[in-house]
Order: sequence, then C-alpha cells, then structure tokens
Amino acid sequence: MEIEGYNMPDELYYEENHFWVKEEGDLLIIGMDDFAQVMAGEIVYVQLPDDGKKLKLGKKFAKIESGKWLGKVYAPVNGELATVNEELETNPGLINDDCYGKGWMYKIRPDDKGEIENLMRGKEAVEKWLLAEIEKYAEE
Amino acid sequence: MEAKYEFEKKYREQILKCSRCGFCQAVCPVYGATLRPALNARGKMLLLKEVMDGKIELNDELTETLFQCTTCASCFENCPSGVDVPEIIKEARKDMVKAGSCHPAFAGMNEVLKKHTNIYAEDEPEDFERERNKQAEYVYFIGCVGSYREDESTMATLDLLDRLKVDYTLIDEVCCSGVLEDVGYEINENLAMKNIDLILKTGAKTVITGCPYCSRTFNNKPQYARLKEKGIKIIHITQFLQDFDFNVKTDKRVTYHDPCDLGRHCGIYEEPRNTIRKIAPNFVEMPDNRENALCCGAGGGVRGGYAKNSIAMARRRLEQAEEVGAEIVLTECNSCVHNLANAKLRKQKFKIYNTTQFINELMEETE
Repeated sequence: MEIEGYNMPDELYYEENHFWVKEEGDLLIIGMDDFAQVMAGEIVYVQLPDDGKKLKLGKKFAKIESGKWLGKVYAPVNGELATVNEELETNPGLINDDCYGKGWMYKIRPDDKGEIENLMRGKEAVEKWLLAEIEKYAEE
Repeated sequence: MEAKYEFEKKYREQILKCSRCGFCQAVCPVYGATLRPALNARGKMLLLKEVMDGKIELNDELTETLFQCTTCASCFENCPSGVDVPEIIKEARKDMVKAGSCHPAFAGMNEVLKKHTNIYAEDEPEDFERERNKQAEYVYFIGCVGSYREDESTMATLDLLDRLKVDYTLIDEVCCSGVLEDVGYEINENLAMKNIDLILKTGAKTVITGCPYCSRTFNNKPQYARLKEKGIKIIHITQFLQDFDFNVKTDKRVTYHDPCDLGRHCGIYEEPRNTIRKIAPNFVEMPDNRENALCCGAGGGVRGGYAKNSIAMARRRLEQAEEVGAEIVLTECNSCVHNLANAKLRKQKFKIYNTTQFINELMEETE
C-alpha cells in the first residue's frame, strides 16, 4: 500500500521504530521502512553485530547512521541474530535504494515466532500509525 | 589590484610559495581515499591561485574541493615551502560563506547551533547518572561527540575518573562551537559565554576535556580568553592521566592512533604513549605515527559533509592497524573512535577504544 507517498507493503509486519519484519522459514528478516529511510536521508553506516548475538525484545542491539541522524535498532522479538546483510558494510546506501529488498538488514532466529503477532500489520493499523507519525515529524 | 577576498589578503604570499612539488599528495587522506588531485593541498592551492588571478570565482563550483579537507595538517607537516594549508582553507571557506557558497551540511550546522546546544540538534542530553554543576576541583567537559555519539565511552571515562577518586563535576555544557570556525563561520558567542559562566561557577581551577578539539578551542580562541584570564587551566584527558598508575596490564597487542587535533595541532604525542606503555607492554606503532599519522577522516567537517569519503579514509587507517597485527586500537578522541568504529569491517577482529575506556575495562576485570 502507499500512504502519503510512502511505500508500505501490505504483507509486512512493522514495529514502532520503523523497522519492517518478514517471515522466512524459521527466521525473521528485518529492514528499515520507506518512511524512515526518507526521513533519515543517505544512510552512511549500519552496525552489523556478530552472528549469535542474543536479542531481547525491545532492547537496542545495533545503531544506524545517516549524515544527520543516529538511529537505534530495537529487537522486535526475543531470539538471536542469525546473520546480517554484509553488503551494507560497504554499501549502506542500499537501504535508500531498495529498503524492502537488497537493503534488508538482519535475520533473526526467534525464540518464539508467535511474538511477531504483537507487531503492526494490515492496512488499517499501519495507515493509522503512519499518518500519526507523519504528523508528528511534520510538527518537529 | 586590491585583494577581493580575506584569504588573499592574509595568505597570498603563502599560496604563491606552493611549488607544486606534490609532497602533500603523498600524505593527504582525502586524496588517498579519492585519488582526485583537485582534492589534495596542491590542487586546492592551484585553485586559490586562479581565484587570486581573477580567472575563477569563489562559488558553488569550488564547494566540493574547498570543503572537503579534514584540516589534518599532514600537508603542512610535509610541505617543504611551509604552506599552512589548513589555515588558508579555513579562511577561504569563510570567504565562500560570505559570498553565499557553502556546503549545505555546514550552513545547516550553523543554524542548528543557533537553536540547539549541540551539533546534532539533540534535545535530550544523556545525564550520565551524575550530578552536574557541583563545586569541584576539576570540570570534565565531554564535547558533542562524546555526549551524543560515543556515550558508552564517555560513561567509561567518568567511571575511570571515579575509580581514580578525582574530584570533578560535569556541567550543563553546550557545544564549544569551535567547529564552526573550520567550516566558514564564527564561534557562537552565546554558547561560549554559557560554557565559561558554567565553568567559573564550579570553582574549578582546571578543565579536563574529553575532546581534543574542545581543548584547542578553549585554549586558543579569543572567545574563551576569559577562562585563562581567570586562571583556569585547560588540558586534555590524556595529559591528566599520564601521572597516574593504574596497576593493570594487558598482554594484548595494542596500537595507538594519533588524533590530528591532539598530535599535529598540539604536539601531544608522548603523553598517551606514556600511559599506554604502563598498561600494554606489547605496544606496537602503526607505520604512520606521531606527526606522520594518517588522519581518520572525521575532521574539518568532512564526516558531516562527505561521510562516505570520511569512512573510506578511516578504512585506510585501519588497514595499518591490521598490518601490525593489533588486537586493540587506542586513540584519544571521540570523533576518531566514532569514525574508526564505523569503518571497521566485520572481518577485522581488533577492538577500538578511547584509552580511558580500555583502562576502565581492565580495572573492572580485576575487581
């Protein structure tokens, strides 16, 4: 779906800090959503922690940086880091070019995949949330 | 013919002294990362000569060249004619801003510092779990990068000061704004006055800075002269720490990256090494060290304006750390730590720290 010009694919789950989540077999893939990559501008650095790092729901596990902004990436579920997109090490701009494809960031092995259902999904929920976000950032 | 620009009035003779020998090219970090001759000191001096000759104007077309310099002073250090390129560049940038040409990142930074207390426009400062603005013997001045980008390192530094039982206080500091002088603007007088007033209220006789650039600004800029008039001494944390014994050691292979602001700009090379040798008998120098140290690429506004090239410069520096087999890379500047850590590849297994953070970690392990 497109919301005020931002591409927010219907099939994805979203967490409130603007990272999308998608199931892939036993793993979950995470990336940055279109709104966040537009707001951040050119991404210049993505922290890529070592595989196996333990992740705790809601806790910061990595940093991401554009020229003007430092963002934190929070674990959307409990689990461990299975792998990272190593392409981002030398080409973090992939997030700007293709945030739902080549710009994916991390794959997580969740302790309980059911936790994904606590995230936002579906046109109604995502639209309501994103419109509020757009308004919030416009005020800032 | 009367000079049109300030840089010409101040530095015409110096610019004409450039013999185009190219010694600067061999050591310029921007050239090293981009391989573009217009971006090294010789290229910049040639362009400024063209401006002085009236062949070209100082306008937007020169932004990428003149604003892409880390002011690391490697060129000046190696120039047989003694051309002080960083000072010339900084003056030319001021002329460019007056003429209405500036890199948008730096015009933005100047605006940010009119409304916010730090270069990142962050409105919620880390409190570092410490009371601020107390009466104390020392003020510890963190700096913007230490406050908002390398807060874990700053927390460790403060923990170390506590372990060493130093009587210090933090203040509600604001950006020293020295960086504005590097990117075509002037120090923000309101910010300077706020810092001075807060420092004086603590009764401290010494300010210890975590950032070498803040230290340079406080020591050298007229807007901060009141500190010296009141007898306040300004030192960088590396100068403060060299007199301590830490009673901890590491057997890891440790190397040291000289920050340009501490090394070439202040001549502080031995103090950090004295401290590191106490804790790391297995210390090894990188091929380029002390006055020949390769810049990490973060200075002069380059990290803000040209982040990709800035990180590419840091990668070149880290190749040297890899070459000497370092397991630990120490430095004394939060900007260097930040840029080097951003540049580190996953396959590079060494760790990058401020010396204070590393010592604190060693002390923590022995407790």
